[in-house]
Amino acid sequence: MSTASREFLRNAAEKSADLVHRQIIRRAIDHYNQAVERRRARFLDWQEARRRCQEIKREAVIHLDRYLLEFERRVQERGGQVFWAETSEDARQYITDLASRRGVRTIVKSKSMVTEEIHLTPALEKLGLRVYETDLGEFIVQLRNEPPYHIVTPAMHLTRAQVASLFREKLGDVISDDPQYLVGVARRELRHAFFSAEMGITGANFLVADSGMIAITTNEGNGRLCTTLPRIHVAVAGIEKIIPRLENLALLWPVLATAGTGQPVTCYNTLIGGPRKTDEVDGPEEFHMVLLDNGRSELLADREQREVLHCIRCGSCLNACPVFRTVGGHTYGTTYPGPIGSVLTPHLRGLNEFQHMSYASSLCGACTDVCPVKIELHHHLLQNRRNAVNDAKRPLVERATFKLWRWAMLNAGIYALSGWFARAAMRIVHAVRIEGTPLDPMRLWTKYHALPSVPAKSFREIWRKNRGAN
Amino acid sequence: MARTENSGRERILARIRSGLLTPVVAHTPDLSSGSARPMVFAPIPDALERFQRECAENNTECIVTPDAKGSAEIVAGVLAALPVGEIFVQDAPELRRLAQAWSPSRAIRWSNEGAPAETSQATITLAECLVAQTGSIFVSSKCGGRGASVVAPVHIVVANVGQLVPDLETAFARLRERGTASHNSFVCLITGSSRTSDIEKILVLGAHGPCRLVTVLALHSANESGGGPAKA
Repeated sequence: MSTASREFLRNAAEKSADLVHRQIIRRAIDHYNQAVERRRARFLDWQEARRRCQEIKREAVIHLDRYLLEFERRVQERGGQVFWAETSEDARQYITDLASRRGVRTIVKSKSMVTEEIHLTPALEKLGLRVYETDLGEFIVQLRNEPPYHIVTPAMHLTRAQVASLFREKLGDVISDDPQYLVGVARRELRHAFFSAEMGITGANFLVADSGMIAITTNEGNGRLCTTLPRIHVAVAGIEKIIPRLENLALLWPVLATAGTGQPVTCYNTLIGGPRKTDEVDGPEEFHMVLLDNGRSELLADREQREVLHCIRCGSCLNACPVFRTVGGHTYGTTYPGPIGSVLTPHLRGLNEFQHMSYASSLCGACTDVCPVKIELHHHLLQNRRNAVNDAKRPLVERATFKLWRWAMLNAGIYALSGWFARAAMRIVHAVRIEGTPLDPMRLWTKYHALPSVPAKSFREIWRKNRGAN
Repeated sequence: MARTENSGRERILARIRSGLLTPVVAHTPDLSSGSARPMVFAPIPDALERFQRECAENNTECIVTPDAKGSAEIVAGVLAALPVGEIFVQDAPELRRLAQAWSPSRAIRWSNEGAPAETSQATITLAECLVAQTGSIFVSSKCGGRGASVVAPVHIVVANVGQLVPDLETAFARLRERGTASHNSFVCLITGSSRTSDIEKILVLGAHGPCRLVTVLALHSANESGGGPAKA
């Protein structure tokens, strides 16, 4: 069992028994579900919207090289620089070198999962730079020195009282836990950072090939300030974020907002194309676009899972997943948690170390049902399980058990005998009251669940009797 | 043209091209072909009514006025209620004309003098177009720059009904027709004032951007001689 797998199991057991945590998450997701239901009703045909978004992303991905080159050319025509990063290390190196060369001391960042993926902030801090996360949720988890809990709602796991207490400890005098007041505290704290930072770093929700612009979807306005006030703007995005045409956003923006936060569209949908033009009032003097591969191009060659590159990171599969809701975002220990994280992470970081994530699913298919670009997430989890069995090492006990199970399933007599033994064993366990104790062979299950009472007769016996009666 | 050469570029492109040669298994049928596709959004019969309704929902204050003179008075009223301090205004002939109606004591920084100051009490700009479907405003760098719609606590947009389009699809067609994306380094669809729900999913307005977004919408544009209302 890998270290990541052991940690996952330990944290999952702890978090799923934390009833306060479960209540906080349930409340947040109930709120989200209500909003999504209302906003989906604004579409005449939500399923058609999903199909069209799937087609847009499919078109982009099957001509990825062409659209990336078109995007690069347009960005360069606008006076921007484009850097192609094969790995996280390449991307970090480019940005840290740039910051050093330009004498940057303060950086403001807007929310970006890809910068989490490449562990950018620690690399910049190592150079002695001050890095401010400016999205409120990100700012909160940065103060707590922990990673985002959720790809859209980073501080979903915290109550207002916890945020107030955190602000009191880190920022000084805080007199209320009213969210309006707390937002004001963060706004004041970050205002100075925005106006003093030399570099702004953002992600991008979409890279628009035909116009050389990046599209950034936000609500707070922090992304806008990060791309307006500092003299250097660095955008980092995975190569799969490309879309062919600007007009595609007429559908992608409302669909992303509906699936992501339950809004018709978010407050600010910003398009940035390069640095400020000479006749423009404001904006950065430099624009750097870092296009990150980091394993994505290899996913293109996966005949079953290429469509994982269609993901628009709305987070709806996390909210729909019963496992995510129970174990929480931090338990996964990866940049991308939930169903999409469980599918993607083994590709980005290795199947052997992260194969356990494919099992963090009930395969109920709720993730597939809600995905706005129709990624067949639960099929891919199943494929990863198969690949893990074929390619990676599974424990000897597991392999032996399945061999035994297969043998029994193919032999009716053995199957009936095994059933008789299992029922007898369950009755004994029940009779001597060792359920859930270390002596119980089914302890892993019975520790948390009450077994139903064992029926007196097996299905086969009942079937035989009834058929005889007829 | 700016360029950055790096060795990873060719290797990434080679991997992409080689990956794309793999035939893929499709789980869902491809429905891109075929004749009539279902509509995604319902048609919008009355753009002005829809715009006002959407604004009410997304916390944009939408004030409809008969003409430019009416708009100037509304803007003057909004400004009169704000704390003392400089305001930032997009340098455009329409807004220069309107500014004559505002209090002479209010200091104005015009966009040709530079970006808005951190302490600006309000910003006043025009818009590229307005979108009824979502109650949104499209702005670009030409509308006073990038900061003009985000730096101050109040953003006032002066527009007329002729700028109103029914939906996002039409808005993008208009932007394309006018070359808005190619002529500007910044274009933004603004829908309501800045907000966050990051703490317990409770909506708070005015996170980092404006707490108030006011759209002053004239039924007749300044260029019209007083005929019928501008067509949306």
